[in-house]
Amino acid sequence: MTARRHLFSFWLLLASVLCAATLAVAGDPPKDTAAPAAAADTGLVSPASGPPSAKVAPATPPAGAAPHTGTAAGTTRGLAPMPNDAQVPGKLLPPGSFDPDPGPSDVVFPLQRVTIRFNHKFHVTEAGATCKTCHSAAYTSQSVQDSLIPAGAVCDSCHLTDHSNPQKVEAGDGDEGKCAFCHLGYKDSDGNAVARLVMPRANMVFNHKKHVDRNINCQQCHGAVQELELATRDQLPRMRGCFRCHQMTDAAARGTAKSDCTTCHVKATASDATPSGAGSGRMKTLFASGAMLPPRWMQNAAHTPDWIERHKFVAGVDSQLCSNCHREDFCVECHDGRVRPRRIHPNDYISMHPIDARQAATKCTSCHREQSFCLGCHQRLGISMSGPPGARDSGRFHPPKSIWSDAPRKPGHHGIEAERNLNACVSCHVERDCVVCHGGQGVGGGFNPHRAGFAGGCQTQMRRNPRPCFVCHAPSDGVLAQCR
Amino acid sequence: MRSRTPTHVAALVAAVTIFASPAAYALDPEITSDTAAQFYDVRSPTGETVLARRRLTTTLGVSAYDLIPHDKTSHDASELSFRARMRYDADYGANGGEADAGNSNSLVPGFSRGPVDLMYGYLEGRKFAGGWLGFKLGRQYMVDSLGWWSFDGGEVKVTTPYYFSAEVYGGLEVRGGMPLSSPRFERDGIWRGDRTGYDPSLYPSFQPSDVAPAMGVALESSGVTWLHGRLSYRRVYNTGNSNVSEFASGLIRPVNYDGTRISQERIGYSFDATLPPSMPQVAGLKGGISYDFYNAKVANIYASLDGYASQKLTVSLDYDYYAPTYDADSIWNFFAGEPTNDIGVRADYNLSDTVALAGGGHVRILEADTAAFTNTGSPNITIASNPNYYPSNGSAFDEGFNAAIRHRSGQNVEAVRASGNFGKDGDRVGGDISLEHVLYARYIAEGRTGLWHWNDKLRPDRDALGFQVVAGIGYKLAQRSRVLFEYEVDANRLVGLRNRAMVWLNVAVTK
Repeated sequence: MTARRHLFSFWLLLASVLCAATLAVAGDPPKDTAAPAAAADTGLVSPASGPPSAKVAPATPPAGAAPHTGTAAGTTRGLAPMPNDAQVPGKLLPPGSFDPDPGPSDVVFPLQRVTIRFNHKFHVTEAGATCKTCHSAAYTSQSVQDSLIPAGAVCDSCHLTDHSNPQKVEAGDGDEGKCAFCHLGYKDSDGNAVARLVMPRANMVFNHKKHVDRNINCQQCHGAVQELELATRDQLPRMRGCFRCHQMTDAAARGTAKSDCTTCHVKATASDATPSGAGSGRMKTLFASGAMLPPRWMQNAAHTPDWIERHKFVAGVDSQLCSNCHREDFCVECHDGRVRPRRIHPNDYISMHPIDARQAATKCTSCHREQSFCLGCHQRLGISMSGPPGARDSGRFHPPKSIWSDAPRKPGHHGIEAERNLNACVSCHVERDCVVCHGGQGVGGGFNPHRAGFAGGCQTQMRRNPRPCFVCHAPSDGVLAQCR
Repeated sequence: MRSRTPTHVAALVAAVTIFASPAAYALDPEITSDTAAQFYDVRSPTGETVLARRRLTTTLGVSAYDLIPHDKTSHDASELSFRARMRYDADYGANGGEADAGNSNSLVPGFSRGPVDLMYGYLEGRKFAGGWLGFKLGRQYMVDSLGWWSFDGGEVKVTTPYYFSAEVYGGLEVRGGMPLSSPRFERDGIWRGDRTGYDPSLYPSFQPSDVAPAMGVALESSGVTWLHGRLSYRRVYNTGNSNVSEFASGLIRPVNYDGTRISQERIGYSFDATLPPSMPQVAGLKGGISYDFYNAKVANIYASLDGYASQKLTVSLDYDYYAPTYDADSIWNFFAGEPTNDIGVRADYNLSDTVALAGGGHVRILEADTAAFTNTGSPNITIASNPNYYPSNGSAFDEGFNAAIRHRSGQNVEAVRASGNFGKDGDRVGGDISLEHVLYARYIAEGRTGLWHWNDKLRPDRDALGFQVVAGIGYKLAQRSRVLFEYEVDANRLVGLRNRAMVWLNVAVTK
């Protein structure tokens, strides 16, 4: 036992060292070249010159730009959601946010680069603006492809600027009309060029108009933006918040707020690549911004490194959850597998699988049928008692007969092993192998394999399917009378 | 073999028809094929080659979605789709006699050198009758608390606005030995297949396949986001003749049993819940139970409690109870197989957006009977004389652990894992390092190396330390098409050096 523990400790230590070494030597992998290509297709307000640089919209000037030097009062405002870049209180975040909140999905809402300064709170509470003043397009938008960021011309009436010609924007007279007042990093020498705003379109399906028409106001999805200065990605909706209405599957339920994944998520077409090899009929899960995976709070279905070991707890409970992304092809690669998956069966697994099978360490029957897959191979190899006479004799598999099968039973006897893991027997033996000794009343040796009290409950089996009874007992056996 | 060519041709014709049809709407078809060629040897523990495996496994899938034209922006529209996949799984290294019913010296009952099966093929409708009705017709899988299952038939699902849906299904269980069928998802415990051409005295334990009528119902919660549950009931019958004389001579007299009889009747329930309901960031509980009516016992209980200790740390407690049950035709239902109980703890931690750790440990309790018992039906044991040994403590504990760390960035993954299982029958422990990279969006590079040690306590001469290296290179032909070549070397003192070469070809053709 001590030796075993030492061995255990040794391997644990070795694994830890391997982990540390791998982390130390692992460099950044090559960038997925799909990303830049997709970035050009993200519907920027202004053409992007490069990918976004930070997860949360940076309120600081873009790299290389000089700090803003405006002199107007309040120029330090509108650079972050809260004054002094304080943390946004949870109550101001969109419904469904956690506390603390990690922000919305990077995949669904790709990273942005916000290069303007804007104080929502000032505009709403002091300038008398409403959401619609600037985002009127949102009230009629039916697609995420629509641009809902106001054009510069919207600002003109108050800031006394002229954005009517984007190629020749005229600054206003006051401080608040200067380009640098709103455009971060702007210098007078930049002329008409301002830092580009990178705001990729969301990888989802959303119809603002439908929601507005149902009197769902902006705050119900975006949180209290009116209390914030700069609005960032953090004000984009959380899936948990959507679930407040989107609760019912299929069209029968609760109006049109369906909870089908493809109500909000992009439905894949046959040509879409997905990590699971799935395509049409499921969610699209692979985007330029990354692979969309289930969040932890959704039935703890996050695909953690030990997912393969624990996925049964999720799939066995709700296989529909899996099938939203994976088609049956993906599952049966293992569950009806014909090619050994190395993630599950490493190394020379065929040499060590008897130990695993004996321990029932991974339930073999999850993916293999014992009386066909296992038995067939054992018979071909000459390991099974029931193999063909022409099969090569691979030698005795079990311990010596004197321990394993001779009566009376002793420690190590097969009867005790069978009680502990009957499946291990079934993977190699056919009925006859057992009946030779366990068959009763002249059919076999008569060694009773039943558990204590068996006769008290055998009537049900006898009535519903007596076939296994007759394998060991002749139909006329008196002993069967107690089951009739 | 007899149906391979016609079915492939039929699938091809169907596919061509779909692609060539001048559909005025956005019918979304696809043809996919996954092929794996494997070349390796299976050796005995003495190192001698026993089986030369020269395997070719190829599948052909045909799917068509949106068979009913509809406005794709509408979420209320009825949807109709068709999916089918066939498989050819051949071993060209097999001896022809192994599948020859006339060659009793080599015949391996149930073995086929190149079986073809229809994995699935069904027409699926969703959101019919105003969204109330869904259906699947054809060969289909079913997965729930009763496990994996496959049948030919129909399933109808009614989704109500009252937070539940109901399913009814019926048909024939897919059984090995029947045309285009695989035994994979029929209940275990019976050696069964196609006995055509077999002499009655040849392998009497090998039972003939026959149709297996099946039906089931399920009730499932719908739309409640903090609680999901599914109650499932299934009944399957065995039909036809069954040989119950396990010896060619029949010993007392040959007996056949012929009649419709139960194969399985089970009920299962599974659920997952958020704890507390309004706070999914706190904890979650999942569980399930299945009950076998024929054996009149609980076959499986499992539960998992996940606590979200922080944004990055999840700690879980698992429980799994498993009692073996089999097809009702099987004698092993009546053997004294005791249940196993697994208790495990695990945790996972997200070190960063790309690096995650996970690990856990468990104990497995394997029971054995401690009390001597007698049965007057047994001529060998009497109340007066029972010389058998019964362990004083029937619970043997096995222990195990697993640990993994993974770095994932886009489609590139590097991982290290280790696991071990330690028990009175043997130990197995080891780990491996793997990487999968896609370079320049086209080139695939894979590698894996591992070191595993196993210790067979029942057969001490079969302890070994095994080393493995796998290298693979591939090319992505298109978005969903690739070719990949892998070479694997395994070495241990028992079988020496083993090589395995593999070629993959995955092709997807879409409109």
